[in-house]
Amino acid sequence: MYNVRKVTDDLYWVGANDHRLHLFENIYPIPRGVSYNSYLLLDEKTVLFDTVDWGACRQYLLNIEHVLDGRPLDYLVINHMEPDHAACIEEVLLRYPDVVVISTEKAFLMMTQYGFEVGENKIQVAEGDTMDFGKHKVVFVFAPMVHWPETMVTFDTTNGVLFSADAFGSFGALDGKLFNDEVDFDRDWLDDARRYFTNIVGKYGPHVQAVLEKAGTIDIKILCPLHGPVWRTDLGYLLNKYDLWSRYEPEDKAVMIAYASMYGNTESAAQVLASELCERGVTNVVVYDVSTTDVSYLISEAFRVSHIVLASVTYNLEIYPKMLDFLNQMKSLNLQKRTIGIIENGSWAPQSGELMSKFMDDMKLMDVLGEEVSLASSLNDVSYRELREMADAIAEQINGKK
Amino acid sequence: MLYQTTEQHEALRQRVREFAETEIKPIAFQLDQTNGFPAEQIEKFGKMGLMGIPYPKEYGGAGLDVMSYAIAVEELSRVDGGTGVILSAHVSLGTWPIFAFGTEEQKQKYLVPLAKGEKIGAFGLTEENAGSDAGGTETVAVDKGDHYLLNGNKIFITNAPKADIYVVFASTDPTAGTRGISAFIVEKGWDGFTFGDHYDKLGIRSSSTAELIFNNVKVPKENLLGKEGQGFKIAMATLDGGRIGIASQALGIAQGAFESALGYAKERVQFGKPIAFQQAISFKLADMATMLHTSRLLIYSTAELKENHEPYSMEAAMAKQYASDCCQKIVDEALQIYGGSGFLKGMDVERFYRDSKITTIYEGTNEIQRVVIAAHIVGKPPKQKSQRRSRTKTAGATGPRKNIMFNEGSNEEKVAQLVAALEKDGYDFSVGIPIDTPIAEAERVVSVGKGIGPKENMALAEELAKQAGAAIGSSRPVAETLQYVPLERYVGMSGQKFKGNLYIACGISGAGQHLKGIKDASTIVAINNSPNAAIFKNADYGIVGNVKDIMPLLAEALDTGKPKESAPPMVKIKRARPKKQAPDYNFYICNGCGYEYDKELGDEASEIEPGTPFEKLPDEWMCPKCGEGKDEFIKA
Ligand SMILES: Cc1cc2nc3c(=O)[nH]c(=O)nc-3n(C[C@H](O)[C@H](O)[C@H](O)COP(=O)(O)OP(=O)(O)OC[C@H]3O[C@@H](n4cnc5c(N)ncnc54)[C@H](O)[C@@H]3O)c2cc1C
Ligand SMILES: Cc1cc2nc3c(=O)[nH]c(=O)nc-3n(C[C@H](O)[C@H](O)[C@H](O)COP(=O)(O)O)c2cc1C
Ligand SMILES: [Fe+2]
Ligand SMILES: [Fe+2]
Repeated sequence: MYNVRKVTDDLYWVGANDHRLHLFENIYPIPRGVSYNSYLLLDEKTVLFDTVDWGACRQYLLNIEHVLDGRPLDYLVINHMEPDHAACIEEVLLRYPDVVVISTEKAFLMMTQYGFEVGENKIQVAEGDTMDFGKHKVVFVFAPMVHWPETMVTFDTTNGVLFSADAFGSFGALDGKLFNDEVDFDRDWLDDARRYFTNIVGKYGPHVQAVLEKAGTIDIKILCPLHGPVWRTDLGYLLNKYDLWSRYEPEDKAVMIAYASMYGNTESAAQVLASELCERGVTNVVVYDVSTTDVSYLISEAFRVSHIVLASVTYNLEIYPKMLDFLNQMKSLNLQKRTIGIIENGSWAPQSGELMSKFMDDMKLMDVLGEEVSLASSLNDVSYRELREMADAIAEQINGKK
Repeated sequence: MLYQTTEQHEALRQRVREFAETEIKPIAFQLDQTNGFPAEQIEKFGKMGLMGIPYPKEYGGAGLDVMSYAIAVEELSRVDGGTGVILSAHVSLGTWPIFAFGTEEQKQKYLVPLAKGEKIGAFGLTEENAGSDAGGTETVAVDKGDHYLLNGNKIFITNAPKADIYVVFASTDPTAGTRGISAFIVEKGWDGFTFGDHYDKLGIRSSSTAELIFNNVKVPKENLLGKEGQGFKIAMATLDGGRIGIASQALGIAQGAFESALGYAKERVQFGKPIAFQQAISFKLADMATMLHTSRLLIYSTAELKENHEPYSMEAAMAKQYASDCCQKIVDEALQIYGGSGFLKGMDVERFYRDSKITTIYEGTNEIQRVVIAAHIVGKPPKQKSQRRSRTKTAGATGPRKNIMFNEGSNEEKVAQLVAALEKDGYDFSVGIPIDTPIAEAERVVSVGKGIGPKENMALAEELAKQAGAAIGSSRPVAETLQYVPLERYVGMSGQKFKGNLYIACGISGAGQHLKGIKDASTIVAINNSPNAAIFKNADYGIVGNVKDIMPLLAEALDTGKPKESAPPMVKIKRARPKKQAPDYNFYICNGCGYEYDKELGDEASEIEPGTPFEKLPDEWMCPKCGEGKDEFIKA
C-alpha cells in the first residue's frame, strides 16, 4: 500500500521510513530509525526529487505510482548520489524509461561508477542553471561537500521550497509526522538532528557555511531535506543551529564529562566533578562512559557543549582505546573552540593526561585548562583538591567572573 | 714544489715563540687557575705589531700573509691555548669581516685600531637557539630611520667583555630566515650594551668568554656591515677563515703537549731506561709526530690557498676538523706518557688536555665541519622537506607562561597588582617555609641575580623571602662569583632545580641554563630593570624596575604583620596556559573532497614548501587528494 503525504498543493512526500536498519552507514546506531525522503512535483511536467535507499525501494515505487496516477514521469532530479538516496535510480529508469535525469557532472560520473545506465536522457546542469516545469521554476545551486562533492540543492522559486539534500536532515523515522510543527522538535528531534549533522557533515563546516551564505540570499519558505522532518515554520531556529555547528561554536554553556574507567575509580572522579560543578551552579552537566556510549553520541555532545572534561585511565602507557577513539573522531571532524579539562588516572606510570593534552594541543583552538587532575588509582585528598580547582575554573568560565 | 715555510716565516715563528715563552709561559698556570686574562701581555703583543699580521700596512697591519698569522696562533697556543684563541678570535672573527666587507670609513674607524692592536675585536653570532644553526638567530635589529635598534642576547662570545669592537649578527627581517640576517659593528660602552655571566670553562681559561646583552642599543646606520640581509654570508665567509685560526690553535696545543711528553719520556726512567725507549711509548710519539706533520701541512696549504684567493672553504673545514681531532688524541697520549704526574694540576699536559677540547666544538663543531666537507663532495641534497611547525607558538625555555607585565602606575601600585594576582592564583602569604629550605624541596623561592648589586642588598632579598614565605636562591654567578649565597643554593640546569610553586626572580636576566632549572615552577615572577631581559618572556608576572626599590615594597605588601605559620605540605599550583590564538591566515578547502590546504604544512606531494600561502601556489597546482584545481577551493 502506498504511503504518501502532501507537502503543498502539488508537491508530495513519497519517501519511506526504516526501523529495521540498525546502523546507518553501517556505523551510526539509529534506535529511532531513519527516513529517506523523496518528493514528487505534479506540474505541467512531473518531477521526482531524489530516490531512496534500496531497502525502501518497494514502498517508494508504490508511492510514485500512486501520486503519478497514470501520468508519465518526466524528470528525475538527483541532488545527491549517496546510495541512501540514489540506490533506486536504476529501478526508476527501468520503470519510467523516458524519464530525463537532471544532475551535476560529478553526479553523472558517479552514476556510471555505480552502474546506472542513464544514456542520452540526461540534462547536466551547472551552478545557477534554471528549469521551467510549467508553473514551477527551479534553480540549481551547487553545495559541494555538504556531504559529498557532487551535491547540489534545488530551489523552487515559485513556492519557496528548497530541496536541500542531506543538509537540515536528521536521524529518526517520521512515523507519520512529516512536518516540524507536528512534532516536539526540541524534545524528540534536536539531539538526533545534531548527531546526524555533526557526525556526517561536521567535518565540512566551511562548506556548510558557504551554503548558508547562498541560502541567505533566497526566500526559503519550506525546507525539504532528504532525512527527517520537513520545515515549514520557524526556519530560523534550524538555520541558527546549523550556523553554530558549522562554525564549531558551542550551542550551550555546558559541561560534558567523558570518562574511561575499567574499575570505576575514574568514573567515581567524574561523578565527583559533576557534583562539584552542580554545587557551583553549573547544572548543565552531562556524564558519559566512553566504553558504553557510541562515539556518535559523544561527538554530538561535544559539538553541543562549551566545556569537555576528558577523564581517562592510562592503558599500557596509552590513552584508553575507547577514549582515543573519541579523540580521533573529534579531530577528524575538525571540532574546535572548546575548553578542555583533563583528568588522568594511572597506578604506576600515568601517561594519559599528558597524551590527551598533547592531542588537544595538536587540534585547532582547543584550550586545555591548566587545572589538570592526576589520580593515582583513585581520588585522594590531593587530587580531590585538584578536582575542585578544576570545578572552580570551569564554573568561573561558565558563570562569568565573580 | 718544496713544502716548506720560508725564512721569514721561521723568523716570525721565533719572535712569537720568544714572546710566548717569556711573557705567557710563566703565568699560564696562574691564568688557568684564576680565569685571568693576559691583558698587559696582549697589549704588548699589539705593540709588537702582531695583532694585525695578515692586514695591509696602510690599515695598521703587519702586511704579512695568512700563513704567518697561522704560525702566530700556533706558537701562542703551543704555550697557552687560551692566549692563542685571543689572537685568533681577534684577527679572524672580530677584524676580518670589517677588512673584507667594511666601507672605507668603517675600515678607517675600526680596522686601523684593531689591526694596530689598540683595540680588541670579537664576533657575536651564537645564541641560545642558534648554535650550529645560525638560522635560529633571534637577536633583532629594527630599522628606526637613522639607526637600528638592537635587541637580544649572544652567548659564548670569545674576548667578551674585554673586546672593544664587536661584529654582531642580528635579524633585520625575521620572516626571511638566514637571508634576513645582517651584520653590525657595535662598540663596547654604547647605551644598553652590557655583558652577562662570565663562563667557568673546562679549558682555555685565559681566554675570556661572556654573554652579550643588547637592550635597545642604538646602532648608527653607518655601522651596518655590508648590506642588509648579507649577514649570514658574511658570517660563513668569516668562519671559513676563522677555521684556519682554530686549526692552528689545535696544532699549537698538540705541539706543546707533544714536546712536553717527548721531553718527559726521554727523562723518565723506568725498568732501567728512559720510557721513550719502550716501543709502546716511542710508537705513541711516532704517531703524534705524524699527526702533527699532516695537520700542519693541511693548515699551511689552506693558508696559502686563502692568501692566493683560491677557494679554500672545504680545505679550511678539513684542516679545522682534522687538526682538532688529532689534537684530542695527541693530548691524550701526551698525558698518558706522563703517567700519574700528568694527572696533576700544574703540569702543562694537564692543561693542554683540557684546553684541547674546545677546538672540536667552536667555530663550527667537527660534525658541522664534516657537513661542510661532505656538501663540497656530494653537492646539495635533494630538496629538503622543512619540518612541520607546530600550530602553537613555541614557548620560551620555561614553557608557556602568562607574560603579564605590571607597568601601570607607581611602583607601589605595580606591586599591589602583583600581590593581587598571586593571591588570586591561590597563594597564601600567611604561611611560609624556612628561608634555608633546600631549593629542591621549597614551595617558594626568592632568587637573586647579579642585578642585586652590592652585597648589602642581600638583606632586602632575605626580608622579601621571609615575607613571601620563601627560601632564598640565586643565579649561578651570585653563588659562584659573588659568593653571596652558598653554592648549593644556585638554581639552574647545573645547579638546583626548582619544582615548587612560586619563583620570584630578582635581578636575574634569565640565562638559558637558569631558565631550564625553573621550567617546572608553577608561577614565575620577574623583577628586573631591563625590559628586554629574557626572564620576562619566561615569567608569568613581571615588573620592570630596580630590585632595590621593588623588593622592599613587595616585602611590605606581603607582610601580614604576623610571623608566617609553617606551611602545610605542598600542593602544586597548576600552571595557566595561554589561550590558543586562531592562525592569522585562512585555510582553503577543496570542493572536490574537503581536503584542507594549510600553508604551514604546504603540500609535500607537489613539492610545495611549508609556509607557501594559498595565493602563491602555482596556477597548475592541484588538490593532492582529488585533483581539483585551485579555483575549486573555498576559503575556510
Ligand atoms: C669557549 C667558547 C667560545 C666561543 N666563542 C664564540 C664566539 O666568539 N663567537 C660566536 O659566535 N660563538 C662562539 N662560541 C659558540 C660556538 O661556536 C658554538 O658553541 C658552536 O657553534 C656549537 O653550537 P652549540 O653549542 O649551540 O651546539 P649545538 O649546535 O647545539 O650542537 C650540539 C651537538 O649537535 C651536533 N650537531 C648540531 N647540528 C648538527 C648537524 N646538522 N649534523 C650533525 N651534528 C650536528 C653538534 O656537532 C654538537 O655535537 C663559543 C663557544 C665556546 C664554548
Ligand atoms: C590492561 C591495563 C593496563 C594498564 N596500564 C597502565 C599504565 O600503563 N600505566 C599506569 O599508570 N596504569 C595502568 N593501568 C592501571 C590503571 O590505569 C589503574 O588501574 C586505574 O587506577 C584504574 O582506574 P579505574 O578504576 O577508573 O579503571 C592499567 C590497567 C590495566 C587493567
Ligand atoms: Fe549523504
Ligand atoms: Fe543521506
